[in-house]
Amino acid sequence: MLLRRQFVLTLALMPITFGMWFAADSLFAGPAVWLCDLLLSFFYSDIVQGARLQGATMLLTTQFGEHNGVILSAQEAGNQIALEINTRLVSYSIAFYAALLAASSLQESITKFCIGLFWLSGIMCFGLASIVGKDLLLMVGPPFLSAPGVPPADLLAVTYQFNVLLMPTLAPICLWLWQIRGSPLWQTLEADIKRASAQR
Amino acid sequence: MTRFLFIFCTVLGSLFAIEMLKPVQEAVIQPFTGLLAALSTALILPFDDTVIAQGRILRDAASGFAVSIEAGCNGVEAAIVLIAGILAFPASLRHKLVAILAGFFFVQALNIVRIISLFYLGQWNYTVFEWFHLYLWPVLIMLDVLIVFAIYLQWLGKQHAKAEPL
Repeated sequence: MLLRRQFVLTLALMPITFGMWFAADSLFAGPAVWLCDLLLSFFYSDIVQGARLQGATMLLTTQFGEHNGVILSAQEAGNQIALEINTRLVSYSIAFYAALLAASSLQESITKFCIGLFWLSGIMCFGLASIVGKDLLLMVGPPFLSAPGVPPADLLAVTYQFNVLLMPTLAPICLWLWQIRGSPLWQTLEADIKRASAQR
Repeated sequence: MTRFLFIFCTVLGSLFAIEMLKPVQEAVIQPFTGLLAALSTALILPFDDTVIAQGRILRDAASGFAVSIEAGCNGVEAAIVLIAGILAFPASLRHKLVAILAGFFFVQALNIVRIISLFYLGQWNYTVFEWFHLYLWPVLIMLDVLIVFAIYLQWLGKQHAKAEPL
């Protein structure tokens, strides 16, 4: 009964949480973009110059440039390739997480939401970095792949698949399950798990 | 719990890596995605005879609007999560197989609803289409996975109760 209530309420709350997320998307994406800027400009300083947030878009300037269709270093080309990345592609996880959490009516839910937001920002940062990797692979190609520290194309593809297509929906569920421990909902779930795991 | 998490993560990572392999993409994923497009068309055709399936592309002959079912849109990733969860949870092989088949069916059934809804939403309003495509449907599909897994746990419990001697 509690589980059914949880799922129905989550669906009912989603229009509200998605609306709030859309209204304040740059606020939610800010920490992840800052982390992504820090991470990429530190580990891949030969590739990335920096990233900043413009509305809901992450503007990333690279160390690559283009001249007559040829990819060169920014210095040689006299221009810089910049990427525009839609942060909503990963930040919608916050709206989903908020709906799951709000539907559970937990104690100290605001604190729990803040903790969840902290973890989701880190996960979103990896999602954004994966989009950068995929975009540079498609746009820059071999000069990007031959840069020091860049993983092979196949690994970039798997990382993108995992961090962008899966984590924004899987991570909120994992966080929510972790945070409902001890609640009546968790006890219901625990009883189901005990009954189910006795069958082998 | 640790055992569950370990198996879940291992199976998840392995299936993801296998799914990305070129031979698997060519022999399984792409034909399956084409099948999804054909199935969606077959479901739409009795109500709308202007729809055509061309491989992974669903096209409306009247408006020219088309949607292409790409990796990430075929419900395979969500099914992988469900399969990893089912395999990680202790149960008999028969129960696991039944759950995987039924779970895969439920995920794909909702995915077909998703494809058809996106096909019509795109013809109506592109902003709404983008919203549903990029943000809402992925959440609904994953919620479906969670619900199917919760139902599986309850079903397993009932099977156990039935099997217990009186």
